Amino acid sequence: MARERCVIIGNGPAANAAAVALRQETSELDIMMIGEETFPHYRPHLLPAYVAGAISKEDLFVTPPSFYEKCNIRIRLGQRVVQVKLDQRELVLSHKEIVPFDALIIACGGRQRIPERLQIFEELLLTLKTPADAQRWIEGLKSAETILIVGGDLTSLSFATAIASAGKRVTFMLEEESFWPLPLSRDLADDVKQRLTRKGVEIIEASCIKRLTRKSEDVIEVDTDTGLIASNLVGAFYGLIPNVKFLVRSGLDVERGVLVDENLRTRFDLVYAAGDCAQIYHPELRDYWVSIGYRNAMEQGKIAAQNLSGGMISIAAPPASIFCAEGVMVNTSWWMEF
Amino acid sequence: MPTVDVTVEVCGMAGDGTIAAGAMINEALSRGGFSVLGFDSYPAEIRGFGRCVTRSRIGSETIVAMGTDTHVLISLNETEAKSRISFLAPRSVVIFENNPPTYVHHDASFVAELPPDKLLYGMPLSDLAAEAAGTPRGRNLTALGGFAAICGVSPDLFISVVESKFKTKGEKILSSNLKSFEAGYTYALREFSDKKGDAIQFPELPHNDRMVMLSGNQAIGMAALDAGLKLYFGYPITPATPIMEFLASTLPKQGGRVVQMEDEISSIGAVLGSFYAGARSMTATSGPGFSLMTELITHGVMAEIPAVIIDAQRGGPATGLPTKTEQSDLHAAVFGGPGDSARIVIAPTNVSECYHYTIKSFQLAEKYQTPVIVLTDFYLDNRVENLVMPLASEAETRNANVSPTGSEGGNYKRYQITESGISPRSLPGMEGYIFTATGLEHTEKGSPDYSPEVHTAMSEKRHKKIAGALVDLPKPEVFFVEDRLDVGVIGWGSTFGSVLEAVRAVREKGCRVGALKITSLSPLHASLIQEFMERCNKTLIPELNYEGQLANLIGHLHHGSVVRLNLVTGSPFPPSLIIRKIEDLIDRGDI
Repeated sequence: MARERCVIIGNGPAANAAAVALRQETSELDIMMIGEETFPHYRPHLLPAYVAGAISKEDLFVTPPSFYEKCNIRIRLGQRVVQVKLDQRELVLSHKEIVPFDALIIACGGRQRIPERLQIFEELLLTLKTPADAQRWIEGLKSAETILIVGGDLTSLSFATAIASAGKRVTFMLEEESFWPLPLSRDLADDVKQRLTRKGVEIIEASCIKRLTRKSEDVIEVDTDTGLIASNLVGAFYGLIPNVKFLVRSGLDVERGVLVDENLRTRFDLVYAAGDCAQIYHPELRDYWVSIGYRNAMEQGKIAAQNLSGGMISIAAPPASIFCAEGVMVNTSWWMEF
Repeated sequence: MPTVDVTVEVCGMAGDGTIAAGAMINEALSRGGFSVLGFDSYPAEIRGFGRCVTRSRIGSETIVAMGTDTHVLISLNETEAKSRISFLAPRSVVIFENNPPTYVHHDASFVAELPPDKLLYGMPLSDLAAEAAGTPRGRNLTALGGFAAICGVSPDLFISVVESKFKTKGEKILSSNLKSFEAGYTYALREFSDKKGDAIQFPELPHNDRMVMLSGNQAIGMAALDAGLKLYFGYPITPATPIMEFLASTLPKQGGRVVQMEDEISSIGAVLGSFYAGARSMTATSGPGFSLMTELITHGVMAEIPAVIIDAQRGGPATGLPTKTEQSDLHAAVFGGPGDSARIVIAPTNVSECYHYTIKSFQLAEKYQTPVIVLTDFYLDNRVENLVMPLASEAETRNANVSPTGSEGGNYKRYQITESGISPRSLPGMEGYIFTATGLEHTEKGSPDYSPEVHTAMSEKRHKKIAGALVDLPKPEVFFVEDRLDVGVIGWGSTFGSVLEAVRAVREKGCRVGALKITSLSPLHASLIQEFMERCNKTLIPELNYEGQLANLIGHLHHGSVVRLNLVTGSPFPPSLIIRKIEDLIDRGDI
């Protein structure tokens, strides 16, 4: 008789924590992780340091391939789930492979958010979510002298200071109102600006980008409400959005992310969601909240696995760290000094 | 300039255009200035089903052997490509069809079996080809477009190859293939831009249009033409048939003839007849056909009639493994047939030698009036290398017949016993030079005579003649000369490239190892081989046969032990196995 199979969609902190916790619970289960990125599990918050040359590429990665082999966890990278058929308990991959499952943990994380108004200029913008993005920055920075950062999120702060310390001229167009994951208060914005300025980053006052134009091979012109800015590279940092588009017709309740209860269960038996892609019910708030950050994701992955194995653990959501951003409750554990 | 040493595989089913795709990779990268060695593996059955695999090892330095690991796998049939997964190197590139006509269950999926470190590039090959050219038939070209975009190969190289390949087939076919290629290139460039730099990248090298891609069989065919071949007689057999196919399309244009005979016996008979009449002729066969020829080959030895025979070895015995490589006809080539029938056997080790030694075989056959066997194998016959177009000198192609001087005065002795064993040979029609040519033992005039004195004298004459041929035969070549070697590796035929690569690799680690290449297998340069062996603490002889047929031939030349390394997998000898064996011998500490 075939062993029961749990498929984990994703290869980030939530997915890896779930896989490890599941294996600790049982050796009988066939555990398969399917990740869209080609890279093994890495620490995204170290990407700015990697781009700035402060750490090596190897330092980014958490788990060597031998670990999965040792734990008898099957990991599939660079493969994309395009459909989840919950009634048939099957996944469909982009190359038309059908993968049956008995249990499912959705931990597919988030993807870089580019505001709709800027999407037509996307090819002129660099983001920083994956090691591939980091590689593009590294290549670009070899010849670039001036870098413009637009938007603002937690990664952008450490990134701006990291490349400024590497000798580049960094200009930051801080969009306080659309700072991610939550708009900056006046006091907090002032504090952020002061800290950035002290680290050699120039802050410019502009609130809106009208147009981006490539003026030459290495110059991009940014038309803002306060004037034109020319830069060699332009980085867009507008945070993440849950990567759940492929789940829309799955029958799962999907809003901003996959809706789950405080035990991370979806409304389908043995189907859980964890990490950046989950929107978790908070009984006290009587609302769903999303979480960001490496530590939150790991914790949720672990709890999803434990609950899948018969546990009934609720996600702890300390009220003090929950913020309201754009009408969504956000719990962030990723805030750090910069 | 970064160096590259990349092996690219194309795997598909017969009919997928696998072999054509592999050939275009070889040609394109050769034009791009790389050293290329390609080898195809295809089913023994005539057509319609079975796995086809082409392997191309491409390097910025000279490539002498096929490696073990594959760095880029282009799958045109996922079911067949499963068998190639175990050969994939870490972080290798896999290009595959991601929109097959039907869904595939996980248990049968090719992609599901790939280890996680592989870089996957799924492309809707059939759809792209069909959209671009109106038919999915060009999906192999679409895959090549993907390969070029992913691995940074200039598309112009492929476009020029496609143009030269299809320009004679009409504008429609050429355009269809170009569109299929371009569709794959554009798609991959666009879709995989976020993975740029992940995959192996080929650097830009100075282009080299002087190089041509040649297979061993093509080189043999070209050599025969350049040597002035008049007649080719043969019976089709893998892997020798391409020689006949090549000559059938070229020899008639030079006034010669290719005749497909009823079998191998009649083929060698016709070759002997032609040479007897003074016309250069040749046959090519493989083990099963060669065994049929042996009686008439010894007839050539006895009657001292020249002949050139290509024995393209394949897996045996009997019908054996028709499309797999092996070096197991050595004993048959050197000793096969009745009686003490000494003959000349030479074994080229690469495509260039296939050309030059085939040319040489005609002169050797004429001068020494004996059959000359050129011993190749499936791997050498079918592998392609890029090289400057070989061209024989006038001296190499000159007639080498030893003709009567005219001073015989009516007392012509066709088999006159001479110091060298070589007797002047008259050709039919030369007035006053009539003789009896027979397979029976004979006197100097050719009359049958079975007396012990005549048989002893004539046996000695024939053997002396062959031993004397050593002066015209290539000497064993020593690589990495040193007074003392911990391990000396001796190679012959197609295996020598693997020997050379292995020895180079081990020397880079500071070990005292050297290599000896033997191309003349009968007669042997015994003293030179012995001299090399005496300088080695251990002698290693890797061969693609079960018992070590060269080791049997030369093992007695030295009192030290000869280590045999034998492989009968039907595949070329992987250098890695030789490296491991050398290191094992050194590590064992008994040297």
